[in-house]
Amino acid sequence: MSGPNGRTVLLGGVPVVLAAEPLKGGGQAAVYPVEGDDRVVVKLYRDPPGPEQERRLTRMLTMSPLGGRPTDRSQRPELAWPTAPARAPGGAFLGYAMQRFGEPEHVQLVGLFTRAQRIRLFHQRADWRFLLGVAWNLAFMTARMHHEGLVIGDFSSSNVVVDANGFITFLDCDSIAFTDAVTGELFPCLMHTTDYSAPERLAGGPATRASDDFALAVLVYQLLTAGNHPFGGVPHDSAPESTVQDNIAASISYVVRPEQVVVPRGTVDPSVLPPELLGLSRAAFGPGVLDPGARPSAEDWLRALDRERSLVRVCPDRPMHTYGSHLSGCPWCGRASVTGHDVFNLGPVPTPPPPPTGTRTALLVGVILLILLIVIVTV
Amino acid sequence: MRRQQPPRTLPAEYADIEFENNAQRLPLVLCLDTSSSMAGPPIDALNTALSEWTRELHDDVSLSYSVEVAVITFGGRGVTAWRGAQPLEPGSPVGPFVAANMFEPPRLAASGVTLMTEALELAMHVVAARKAELRAQGFQYYRPQICLVTDGLPTDGTGHISRTWQRLVPVLAEEQAARRFRLYAIGVGGLTDLAEQVLQAYAPKFNARLQGFPFRQLLQMMSASANAETKGAGDEVFEKIFSQFKTQRPAWEA
Repeated sequence: MSGPNGRTVLLGGVPVVLAAEPLKGGGQAAVYPVEGDDRVVVKLYRDPPGPEQERRLTRMLTMSPLGGRPTDRSQRPELAWPTAPARAPGGAFLGYAMQRFGEPEHVQLVGLFTRAQRIRLFHQRADWRFLLGVAWNLAFMTARMHHEGLVIGDFSSSNVVVDANGFITFLDCDSIAFTDAVTGELFPCLMHTTDYSAPERLAGGPATRASDDFALAVLVYQLLTAGNHPFGGVPHDSAPESTVQDNIAASISYVVRPEQVVVPRGTVDPSVLPPELLGLSRAAFGPGVLDPGARPSAEDWLRALDRERSLVRVCPDRPMHTYGSHLSGCPWCGRASVTGHDVFNLGPVPTPPPPPTGTRTALLVGVILLILLIVIVTV
Repeated sequence: MRRQQPPRTLPAEYADIEFENNAQRLPLVLCLDTSSSMAGPPIDALNTALSEWTRELHDDVSLSYSVEVAVITFGGRGVTAWRGAQPLEPGSPVGPFVAANMFEPPRLAASGVTLMTEALELAMHVVAARKAELRAQGFQYYRPQICLVTDGLPTDGTGHISRTWQRLVPVLAEEQAARRFRLYAIGVGGLTDLAEQVLQAYAPKFNARLQGFPFRQLLQMMSASANAETKGAGDEVFEKIFSQFKTQRPAWEA
């Protein structure tokens, strides 16, 4: 793809040499580093891109969405927007250049969904407060893109990266759907990632703000539960090969109706979400699955997330345990004592000191009395 | 009210897989030829490639969310399933699958016969067992991947060329048609025509006959395939990934 003699491409007319090995390669395109410039990468399509793709890119190069550069200098751009077209020495359109957002500074969102990767890449920073902040940044970006008439389209945990401060950047800008303000040409989004696709997209429908809102809801829910997918779990009496995609299409979420599915033992309980956010989740994963109009908008999420940010509590026993103000005790300590798995700390779970014997006996007596009472009442 | 404690016998590493999150899992089986013809540089190259791939797997945030790895080898006197670096006794109560971020590669040595048919049967068996186990626990799974790598022809237990491989052809055809797993069958080290025919019969779409021992590229192709699977890619994407893997050979040889 990169020309007959190897790896020279023209970026806005200037020849550069691409590294031999791509950073990553999917089925559609591969992303290459540029020799001698580690701030830029070049995305080359595997199949020759058509004239629509070239018109799209040309149009995108004249746009500066989300107000161009952010004001806070510690924040990188929220969109890895194309910076130049990439052409073969003969002039054929091959792809485009963009800023590089690589590890370890920039980590795909999915890196926040497993403990080992959270700890490896974010050290002691990625607690629940951090996840809430990332969710806020995601909702903020989505709301502003929608305000500017852009539809993300392919919105997933692998094409958004997050840095050590929780700032996010959306990577695959060439799949964004928008209408050319001058010619009125619609550039649709042809890509989607099944585990984040609303049912209408799974059925072949176009990307819309509402399909973005669905993906946003899934991502926010995953962040606030440290990686649990709201459409996980195997429905009772389902076909053997049941998948997340099937649950989305059939509108089966344990967040709304836990009795419909076998929920894995390790699943974090939806009640770790503060009530307002849980309410939005239930709307998105209940009526909002099949009715795009019933989904909370990015703005709804932004407002609700905003209210929680100042209310986060810190566990007195384990400082990496932070949680919503609606809970009376630390949910992560509770989970660690039951499962032996501490979501935010590595190593064995420290056993809390046993309560004084007197208290324990009193507690035991209390429990026995309670059970007796229940038995009596039921009988 | 207290919830039920996990059983005390559960090793810590298990608890970790089980309680990590509810992600949809992707079982991946490496079914590797370790018969005598692999002795010397080929088996060394395989061990090196496995170590490098393990490192990449540990660092891959996407794959470590979903992928579980099992290794099956055929060589020596028969077929061995490995749980990471540990060979499993036949009838072991634990299965061979290990979460990607905890996988450690076995140190493989080459000797003996090529029980390829039996190895593939075991691969299908462990995949089916793992699916049943995941499902019972409430975990969804993506279509599993089995990667068969060999440099020769299937033999029987005495090292004679065996025709038992033919019994597997209809079984594999049915399993693949039902999308129960995706099978890659890859010949390395200059396979004979007959040996290539075996691979073509096993995996009509995803078979290759490669010069040399490009294990590293082969394992990277498996990662790319796993990545495509978790993103819900269509069949054409897998075909593209595989054909790139096959056609990029000359560049790697240089």
